[in-house]
Amino acid sequence: MEDGCRGLLHKVVLGGFFLVAFLLGQGGRDAAYAHRVNLFAWVEGGKVHTESRFPGGRPVKGGRVLVYNAAGVKLLEGKTDEEGRFSFPAPPPTDLKIVLEAGMGHRTVWTLKAQELGEAAPHGPSSQQTTPSEPPAASHREAGGAPALGPEFRGLLEEVLDRKLEPLQRELAALRQQGPTFREIFGGIGYILGLLGVAAWAASRKKGR
Amino acid sequence: MHISDGVLRPEVSVAAYVAAAAVTGLCMRRMRTEEMPKVAVVTSAFFVASLVHIPLGPTSVHLLLIGLVGALLGSAAFPSITLGLILQTLLFGYGGITALGANSLMMGLPALVAGWIYRGLRGRDWGGHMAAGFMAGALGTTLAAVFLALLLMTSGEDFYGVARVALLAHLPVIGIEALITAFVVSFLGKVKPELLP
Repeated sequence: MEDGCRGLLHKVVLGGFFLVAFLLGQGGRDAAYAHRVNLFAWVEGGKVHTESRFPGGRPVKGGRVLVYNAAGVKLLEGKTDEEGRFSFPAPPPTDLKIVLEAGMGHRTVWTLKAQELGEAAPHGPSSQQTTPSEPPAASHREAGGAPALGPEFRGLLEEVLDRKLEPLQRELAALRQQGPTFREIFGGIGYILGLLGVAAWAASRKKGR
Repeated sequence: MHISDGVLRPEVSVAAYVAAAAVTGLCMRRMRTEEMPKVAVVTSAFFVASLVHIPLGPTSVHLLLIGLVGALLGSAAFPSITLGLILQTLLFGYGGITALGANSLMMGLPALVAGWIYRGLRGRDWGGHMAAGFMAGALGTTLAAVFLALLLMTSGEDFYGVARVALLAHLPVIGIEALITAFVVSFLGKVKPELLP
């Protein structure tokens, strides 16, 4: 009789908890899900794109993205959208430090090299303001091996390359954002058993003396 | 709930390292040789618990098992959690190496408190174990969320804001862990009471 009552009580408590959990889980699910965050940034068509995810691929919604230049001066900041993305116009080439703050102590840093920005600069909004005579000069300086290429061809080439490389870059981002593998999990368990085994052995030797 | 590198101020990180090392040392001295296999098993469980994603409606959360570690290990819970966190940081990239001390305090101290609560509350019967386990399981993660807010307060964040968000986010985890802890300790109390501290 008493056991029956207890069984019922447990079911009620369990059901209640799942209900509460379901309702509240909606609010802060990303934060509860995460133990780390990933940020991936790449340059495409004169813009810097960033993608922020928790392990397993859940996007960081509304995460704070801060962009610093090589000297540590903050250039801009923004928030990630529903898909964890945030894009901004490519600044003049410099090593960019992109920091993601996902709340509750979650933070990560991505460094974007100046070379990557340098290639994209002719497409950037900054170059649109320059005089038409400048792009050929720029292409002359950069592409030392192929001076014959006109600026139109260069632009087209870059556009095509950007388009072709985009899936690759996404895949690369997804690869970086994978959770731990079996190797790491079992390796960790092995370390725990091994370390405590060594400790037990040392302790038993001390006792034996 | 792991704090990443670069979030806390350096002096806070260093102080947390010192404090965590001191508590680990104190707890290790109290650990008995016979306990070590149990510590290994519970540490392994804590280490992999963060990978257990529980589908919960449209979302999923993962476990921390702070209260369970505290209830099962007593004072050995702190070194156990520290070791689990070191490996989670090195192998999974959770948290960060400079924040290890802070993370260890944030999850280890609640485990100790949960252990004391469990031993203080549990009765001899099955129901007593159940209720005490429930309390310990719920308290572990709740306290960890409060500690997280305290630590983040040192780097200028608003205590009540962080505490509210962290508690709200972890309410499902708190509920599930309370149940898991209650069932595990009551089961062990029935079939193998010598495993409980």
